[in-house]
Amino acid sequence: MASSAPPPALTLPPSQFARLQPHAYLLAHLSPPASSNQPSLRANGRQPAQFRPTSANTGSLTHTNGSAVVRVGDTTAVCGVRAELLPTSDIASWSVSHASSGAHKRATTTKNDADADADESHIQDLNLLVPNLSLSTGCAPGFVPGAPPSALAQSLSHQILGLLHSTRLVRAEDLRVWYQVPSFGGDGDMDVDAEEDEGRKKKNDGKEIKAFWVLYIDIMIISLAGNAFDAAWAAVLAALRDTRLPRAWWDADNEMVVCSEAVAEATRLSLRGLPIASSFCVFEADAAAGWRAVIVPDAEEEKKIEEDQRRGMQRRWILADPDGYEEGLSQERVCLVVDREMGKTVIVKMEKNGGWAVDGRELKQLVDTAAERWESLKLILEQC
Amino acid sequence: MTDRRRINGPPSGTRPAVFASSLKSASGDATERPRRHRQPNELRKIFLKTGLIPSASGSAYLEYEPSASLAAARSSPQSLIPPSSALKLACTVHGPKPLPRSATFSPNLVLTTHVKYAPFAARQRKGHIRDASERDLGVHLETALRGVIVAERWPKSGLEITITILEAEDDRWWGDAPDSHDAPWGMMNVLAGCITAASAAIADARIDCLDLVAGGVAAIVSDDAVAEEGSSSTPKLMLDTDPAEHKSILSACVVAYMPARDEITEIWLKGDHSKASLGVDDSSLGHEALIDGAINAARGAHTVLVEAVLESAERYAGLSSSDS
Repeated sequence: MASSAPPPALTLPPSQFARLQPHAYLLAHLSPPASSNQPSLRANGRQPAQFRPTSANTGSLTHTNGSAVVRVGDTTAVCGVRAELLPTSDIASWSVSHASSGAHKRATTTKNDADADADESHIQDLNLLVPNLSLSTGCAPGFVPGAPPSALAQSLSHQILGLLHSTRLVRAEDLRVWYQVPSFGGDGDMDVDAEEDEGRKKKNDGKEIKAFWVLYIDIMIISLAGNAFDAAWAAVLAALRDTRLPRAWWDADNEMVVCSEAVAEATRLSLRGLPIASSFCVFEADAAAGWRAVIVPDAEEEKKIEEDQRRGMQRRWILADPDGYEEGLSQERVCLVVDREMGKTVIVKMEKNGGWAVDGRELKQLVDTAAERWESLKLILEQC
Repeated sequence: MTDRRRINGPPSGTRPAVFASSLKSASGDATERPRRHRQPNELRKIFLKTGLIPSASGSAYLEYEPSASLAAARSSPQSLIPPSSALKLACTVHGPKPLPRSATFSPNLVLTTHVKYAPFAARQRKGHIRDASERDLGVHLETALRGVIVAERWPKSGLEITITILEAEDDRWWGDAPDSHDAPWGMMNVLAGCITAASAAIADARIDCLDLVAGGVAAIVSDDAVAEEGSSSTPKLMLDTDPAEHKSILSACVVAYMPARDEITEIWLKGDHSKASLGVDDSSLGHEALIDGAINAARGAHTVLVEAVLESAERYAGLSSSDS
């Protein structure tokens, strides 16, 4: 550890040393000399498995159906959910493909929520959830405002969209605006107009979908200091929990969907579960590990690594909730999205890329850490 | 043409929700216009905080106090339609940093300003790409700040000011017909907020300025509510107007004002002020009264600005002493 102790002639304040030798700086924090009797802490003073303090606030934006501000350390995400209507008459293929089949599904699925898979296809097919994340808010020096979204912003938007679809967080039933077709007494006067149409309506118990709510979920990262995904997802979750949709009905006279402005009649979304994301990064003691060709260690090396660990020499650290400084120093990322149902942890999404350091055993530990994070974030989201 | 870098909604587009009460209000009056509870020369409270965004060299967050009607609607929500809105914006300053190699030589600091509304900032959903009004705001902001910064201290460098508007002011009361007010009056309040916040963020980035520039708005309004009470139907000068609270705004003015030097760096006056006779005792011309009113509003904002900058300086002094 020669690099961690600069010669006394040239002394640097810690902040400058952190900029000049970021890797050595973080390594020196994580592996203090045994004589100093200091605990292994990160440069930001956290334990390796410690998340940053998180706070959330909902419902502060006026022009949204639901909004949230989530602060994870110095990363701040603002999410606003705006609901707009998509009349089925505007959907090009609606009358051909969905009108009859949708009703069939409804008849079967309302009885049994378990096989709601087909039920949710509306959300995905009709793009009813539109998440967009913006980084061009001056949140960090690298992002040019006014430019098209960077690769990171695009990838984060798509990750959020994918997660919204795969977790089936929003129920399609909440987004539908139904219309009870009035029955005009006898059949006699109706089958003159459109016999076929009438037949279809009968099949649907006289109910048809007139419109869908489309949720525009816009996330502005106001301040970026690493781990944007966790903060953005938490903001989306908090905003969706806060979202209230007005009661909407089909007004046959005006031939449009109208809404009631009364707050008492508005309904909240009933979300499925509470999937919470936790990200980790792996910091390697070997500074060159990032750019050297990746060679999977053979049995001998594996033994050596284990021996080192037994002697208390750690070669890699898994850091929870990395800040911007740590993200820049690590290649390997793990992102876990977990939910808990009746005391059981359910892995909703698991993503790991950029290296081979995290193996099955460590992943299991990470899932436990993520479950702990789930508990603490759940409290925060419920309090706001 | 669809935007391929963003996630687009349904290809056929969507429609904003239409409320049943707004359909009825064409015939009868459903809800009442929010009333101004402040004195004509009383400003809304401003919340201004610096240094909330650590990754930027300077930053500020500004929020206006919600009007009485909005505060009431927040505490006991009845209607999903908000009566008015209160400005909320975040400003970041990046720099001074070297200009890119491709840029031409500049002996001064090159200032660039970006103003962007969040998609959920206004009553109507905003697009992701900056529209003309946002670019216009950016240009106004740049002229307001260019006269304040001592630009020759940083040759060959650039300063980037980005403002994200999380919640904008209304241009008119939502119950009014869309054509009842011609001009987007809310933009003027937004500009005044942008100037004040940008000034705090520049000071937070410790960039040399001649003075702290503050923005202020004044408007000449003719209120029907006043006329009904029988006092007078003459147009009145009001400071820091919330456009939702007034039936018709005849003319409005924004200034960027430096109190210590008594200088105006930006003036934006809109509307017809020639016909407005401001009472019997006020002999001054319409536009002069309007500019004076805006300056008074800016003086008010300046007091808040000084507090925020002082806080920023104290934080910086505390930081630097703990570093060494």
